[in-house]
Amino acid sequence: MQMRPDRTDDQPSIRIRRRDTAAVAALGSFVLLLFWMFGELGFVETVVAITTIAALSTFYYLTVSTTLNPAPRPDRAAMPYAQPNGEVSAQRMLEGLPIPVLLIGPGGRIEMANPAAREFLGLGSATGHLSAVLRQPQVLEAVSAALRGNAVDPVEYSLMAPVESHVRAYVAPLAAAGDATIPWRAMLVLSDETSIKRADRMRADFLANASHELRTPLASLAGFIETLRGHARDDAEARERFLNIMFDQTERMQRLINDLLSLSRVEMDEHVAPSGEADLVSLVEDVTAFLRPQLQEKAIDLVVDMPDEARAVGDRDQLTEVVLNLVENAIKYSPDGSAIRISVSEPLSRDEAERPRMTLGETASRLTLAAPSSEPSDRYIAVRVQDGGKGIERRNLPRLSERFYRVDGQKSGPKEGTGLGLAIVKHIVNRHRGGFTVESALGEGSVFSVFLPVRGRTQKAVGEAAP
Amino acid sequence: MALSKTAHIVTAYGEELDQLADELARMGGLVETQLETAIAAIVRRDSTLVQAVRDREKQVNQMQVDVEKRVLRLFALRQPLATDLRMTISALKISTDLERVGDLAKNIAYRAKDLSEYPALALIDRVERLGAIVIKQLHEVLDALSSFEIEPAIRVWRTDDEVDERYNALVREMLVSMGENSGLVEPGVHILFVAKNLERIGDHATNIAEALHFMVTATPLEADSPPPA
Repeated sequence: MQMRPDRTDDQPSIRIRRRDTAAVAALGSFVLLLFWMFGELGFVETVVAITTIAALSTFYYLTVSTTLNPAPRPDRAAMPYAQPNGEVSAQRMLEGLPIPVLLIGPGGRIEMANPAAREFLGLGSATGHLSAVLRQPQVLEAVSAALRGNAVDPVEYSLMAPVESHVRAYVAPLAAAGDATIPWRAMLVLSDETSIKRADRMRADFLANASHELRTPLASLAGFIETLRGHARDDAEARERFLNIMFDQTERMQRLINDLLSLSRVEMDEHVAPSGEADLVSLVEDVTAFLRPQLQEKAIDLVVDMPDEARAVGDRDQLTEVVLNLVENAIKYSPDGSAIRISVSEPLSRDEAERPRMTLGETASRLTLAAPSSEPSDRYIAVRVQDGGKGIERRNLPRLSERFYRVDGQKSGPKEGTGLGLAIVKHIVNRHRGGFTVESALGEGSVFSVFLPVRGRTQKAVGEAAP
Repeated sequence: MALSKTAHIVTAYGEELDQLADELARMGGLVETQLETAIAAIVRRDSTLVQAVRDREKQVNQMQVDVEKRVLRLFALRQPLATDLRMTISALKISTDLERVGDLAKNIAYRAKDLSEYPALALIDRVERLGAIVIKQLHEVLDALSSFEIEPAIRVWRTDDEVDERYNALVREMLVSMGENSGLVEPGVHILFVAKNLERIGDHATNIAEALHFMVTATPLEADSPPPA
């Protein structure tokens, strides 16, 4: 870009205008003087006119530069362009870096620590020996080696107190440029890997859980097969009974594997919002028709409250899975002869959808298990499923959508769920950029609600919902 | 830091005191790691960790010798007075305590080898919890030592009762289960020694807290010291 002079007064356009102003003012004054000399004007009039012209032109003369260059506007193009000062920018970048970085001088003294490092190590403004804030022997050894100019491998260390944390420390020797008499310094970069370790452990837990859930039915299958091969070989009655149990067990394994598969499928494309539309009313009708036999078996009344149509953005198959899971759960946890209420709302605002009036009275507690990030103009359709069960304690609500979590140690018997239903619901709802809430009161029952976005004027990409 | 930062006319003197604090902190970190490794070896039944403890044990002993040498040098050359005197004396005491903690941690780690020959004990989670408290005690008192703060030190000193209680409960339970099942006697004895060592480490942590208190306030830490905020 073109270099512009620093002093705006020296710009040619300004100089020309100032010259013209001065010339016009001088000429005007001269003409007025002539008029006065020839007696055409009185003395007072002449002086007033000349003063006015002089004042105006002086004013214009002084302000011409600001009129042409409105200075206070922070216009990057008009600002003088300067090469960034390497040292200053580096310093600023270091200050803004969210990663703890320290410079260790000779003797293991902290010479510099960026704010992230100060926060991470609980370091005040004072500087001292590194060992005063970080006593890990491996790190201190690595720093000593780096101070002697040796390259060192990253060091991992764990702290058990005050809270468990796992950190990887990168240490590198720094030489003073071109001067061998200045001692080596060491750069220490800390990277907090606690969350990675925790995720690792969660994955291991999940595997252990999943294999445990699969092993139980498998073990009982193996046991029955053994019995059928042995002394029950000729007992027709026992054989029939065993085969029935075995069938139940295989069904249970099948359900579990299906759920695991659909969970991983949902997780896989959780970041891709669905593009289609689905009518939630017809969807609920389909689901209830499908579950009619189970409802009749337990003599459960179904109360449905829906408009004629409620179209929400979504993948019909996945939304069917959501509603199916919720209604199946409701049937499972409602005693015989009770009632289940299903309602589908008109489009509501986010707040109306997430926090409607409590249905279960004063003692109920509510928790949002999944929430979208939404704009004020977004509208949602809420589907609520209320069961007649015994309700869930407040302290158990946050864990509901955890995999394999069952409230108060319900047994994973052959007729029970896989423990994955609500986890699947949560992931599907997340993918739809919708929300998932639960309201429950002991002795009153629970209401599970999902709310799904309605196609609005603008369908913006929405940020990742909470995992 | 705060103490040794008090300016000395002879800068080398101040630096020496600084280095003493640095050495003590390093030794503390080393001992802390020893203890964590030893408890991990017991709890995870991982006798491969024992070698690491054994290797570092020599370092701990060497560091104690270094601290002693430095203290002697300070006495001989600088004749420290007041704060400096208390700091030098306390450093000597603290290094002895730390060295003992290192020894006890080593003993705990050695038990891991014997314990790994027996089936896992149900009581091991009690040991883990006792160990976690002792690690926390040691960590807090070493933090206090680095920052020269006495409130955390007093807190550590008071929390020692909890360590003792847990230790006593563990011993009682262990004795009961050993009485019921004679197969538990051999591993049980190892566990009892581990617990005893952990309890001793807790005591050393309180010793360090006392030394620190004396170093900072020049008064001994007693039961009627102001409770921590």
